[in-house]
Amino acid sequence: MFSSVIKKIAVLGASSSLALLAACGSSQEQAGPVTVTLLTHDSFVVSEALVAQLKKETGITLKITTAGDAGAMVAGAVLAAGSPSADVMFGVDNTLLAKAANADVFSAYTSKNLDSVIPALQTDTGNGVVTPIDYGDVCVNIDDAWFVQHHVPIPTTIEQLTSPMYKDLLVVEDPATSSPGLAFMLATKAKFGDKWTNYWKKLEANGVQISGSWTDAYESAFSASGGTRPLVVSYATSPPAEIVYAQNPKPTKPSTSVLTDGCYRQIEFAGVLRGTQNEVAAQQVVDWLLSAPVQADVPLSMFVFPARVNTPLPTVFTNFAATVEHPEQLSATDVDANLRTWLNQWGQVMGR
Amino acid sequence: MLPALFLSISLGYPLVSVLQRSFADIQSIDLSPQLGIAASAALQAFISMTGALLIGIPIAGVLATYRFRGRAFVQAIVTVPFVLPTVVIALAFRELLGTTLNSGLVLVVIAHIYINLAVVVRIVGATWQQLDQRMVIAARSLGASSIRAFITVTLPQLKAAVSSAASIVFVFCFTSLGVVLVLGNSSTRTLETQILRETSLLLDFPTAAITAVLQLIVVTIALVLGARASMNSTSKIRTMRFSRLPRPHGLRTHIYVITVALTAIILVTLPLISLVSGSLRDTNGWTLEWWQSLTDLEAGTTRLGSPIMAIATSLKYAFFTGVIAGVIGVLAAMSVLSHRLGRAVLIIALAPLGISAATLGLGFMLSFGRAPFDLRGTDLLVPLAHSIVAVPLVIAVVLPTLRASDRRVAIVASALGARPSRAFFTAYGPVLRVVAIAAAGLAACVSLGEFGAASFLARSSSPTVPVQIVKLLQRPGEQSFGVACALSVILVIGTLALVASIDSLGAKRWKRS
Repeated sequence: MFSSVIKKIAVLGASSSLALLAACGSSQEQAGPVTVTLLTHDSFVVSEALVAQLKKETGITLKITTAGDAGAMVAGAVLAAGSPSADVMFGVDNTLLAKAANADVFSAYTSKNLDSVIPALQTDTGNGVVTPIDYGDVCVNIDDAWFVQHHVPIPTTIEQLTSPMYKDLLVVEDPATSSPGLAFMLATKAKFGDKWTNYWKKLEANGVQISGSWTDAYESAFSASGGTRPLVVSYATSPPAEIVYAQNPKPTKPSTSVLTDGCYRQIEFAGVLRGTQNEVAAQQVVDWLLSAPVQADVPLSMFVFPARVNTPLPTVFTNFAATVEHPEQLSATDVDANLRTWLNQWGQVMGR
Repeated sequence: MLPALFLSISLGYPLVSVLQRSFADIQSIDLSPQLGIAASAALQAFISMTGALLIGIPIAGVLATYRFRGRAFVQAIVTVPFVLPTVVIALAFRELLGTTLNSGLVLVVIAHIYINLAVVVRIVGATWQQLDQRMVIAARSLGASSIRAFITVTLPQLKAAVSSAASIVFVFCFTSLGVVLVLGNSSTRTLETQILRETSLLLDFPTAAITAVLQLIVVTIALVLGARASMNSTSKIRTMRFSRLPRPHGLRTHIYVITVALTAIILVTLPLISLVSGSLRDTNGWTLEWWQSLTDLEAGTTRLGSPIMAIATSLKYAFFTGVIAGVIGVLAAMSVLSHRLGRAVLIIALAPLGISAATLGLGFMLSFGRAPFDLRGTDLLVPLAHSIVAVPLVIAVVLPTLRASDRRVAIVASALGARPSRAFFTAYGPVLRVVAIAAAGLAACVSLGEFGAASFLARSSSPTVPVQIVKLLQRPGEQSFGVACALSVILVIGTLALVASIDSLGAKRWKRS
């Protein structure tokens, strides 16, 4: 009760100082020569030219520090809430957003260009503390060649994966230890509602293999990488990544495709960390992450889709990345409240 | 004093900061799942430890008692698994065994034995090398069989080293994270995997902290048992410093030495072969492309930084870790030996082995990632974290050897008027020089292969080799896999070179003294 009052006061204070800054107009644009530290996870990549351009245009020197994977990064930020080790955090996703927001990690700011974000992504900003930067879908990937060779029809829904035709063909990651594994579990929860554990019982009976990590599932078990299973939980952008990271001369099309049913949408956000000494410059960095040039850089740097509308995509994306029309989603607060229960239920069903 | 200061700053401060934050809003927590996991993890660790001892001791013995061609190579290659990132080892085992073995206890135990072979061989070997072989020869000439001579003469003298190796291997397997995540299933969960889940998935810090404390308690018990066994067996050791190792003689000895050496080489290299072939193959057959792209992975738009730079970063961190952990570890071992409360000092100094890596990583971020101790951006943060992991190993190598030295020399020197420090170095100096270099080398190897702390703490612009390998393995595509394999091979070769050169350095000093 008391803390929520304090939270409100803090939010009020922050937004009023924001109004003041906005009133000052041009002074907000020139934060001067400062260094802004961006805290991010170890998958973050951005072109150096863009960082140089940021410095040239705003005087901001961007220092990037990584703190392990997204979970470790958010854990560190939560423990340091109020006296952060950085000014901006990028990479908190919709699974962890509620935890971070409730722990008062961020100060109130969403990018002034929020209206340039795809409308469907605008809804969740953790009550006005984060800005969506990119999104991606976790989907079952298919080794097309295997299905042609074995004369088995390619599945089109995740329900079909419980049928005897697809026995012993699927490998998924353990949701307790792997981020795509968790996303796929949440997708089944979103799709099947209260009956989601029944789905997993059927998958278990149909010989699903559980791997500890994406690397083990995709690089070892997946038949396209030399394993035995032609279906694996991965990303909707894995097929274009297969092309980009292939040997020269590049193959003209990937050997894998995506099952666009039962996909879970992951959104990544950026926010200003509460307690930063560089509030204004930190806000500028959030805006920069959403700016057209950085957004255009996002696909080939991190293999995710830009959150900004009408951002041109590279051809390898337009040709081979799957577009998921109806991704599964759960609200951040729902995930926050029930994650432990769901993980325990999953563990009981799968005997893990 | 210095080791105590080092530990309290680099270990105590981060831990206190993270635990203080964690216990701030504690409520009632149900510990029963954790206790169950602790019990099954203890069983797993005990099996792994027994396996590592059974395979490791014969190898240590052959290396310590005979001179033969390829000895240095065997000694070096046994260290390699210990240094490789666990993800790479898991991948290598997967490539080797395919799907013949499902994830689970057997696979985890095999991987643990594989990794910890080096700990047994190094720690037991360090003492074994100094034993007076004439005792064994005497026993044999009086009619004892070689097995009997081993049990009645050698084994009692090795008790300190074996129990110290055993307790360390047990602790490593009990707190294992990477191997369990990749190769394990529900039956092989450790407290550490639970701590990771509570911290970075559920963000339930009180539960994580309590689990971390529970883990520390179990580990402390294991270390106390190990220290007691090791302390109780001091006086029986007879050393001989000035001898060269004999060549094997007689057909049976020859066969024995060759069998053990070949088994060691095959056991260690078999999984590594898949890495070599992975670095030389693509879908069309053999290729050198992955090796050529080591210098410019900047191709395309994904900038992971040059792998060559990663090698330079890793070497730099390994050097700093060797120096820091070497100095601190040797000083700690000396104070264990000369201090009244030796055993307590020993247990405190070994305690970092049992501290949860996830907790420590968070603590480091909290303590040294912001004012007043902002070490980010310096080259010290990662070596500091690596040293915490490495100091216990340095102690474990140095202590049994120091203890094996003749204490009476120090007493005589003091009686003749030498200052305490002078007396100490007269007695222990010659042995210390050799063993300290070997231990520092082991610490450098730990740093070379360490992934967890480095992924938390290394700057994104300058990843270490293991971090780079794991990053590559986390993205699809042939190139990622091929270059990751090539980097792993480089890590293997680098370790081999480092260990072999340290061993030969040690051997030279040996002869001179």
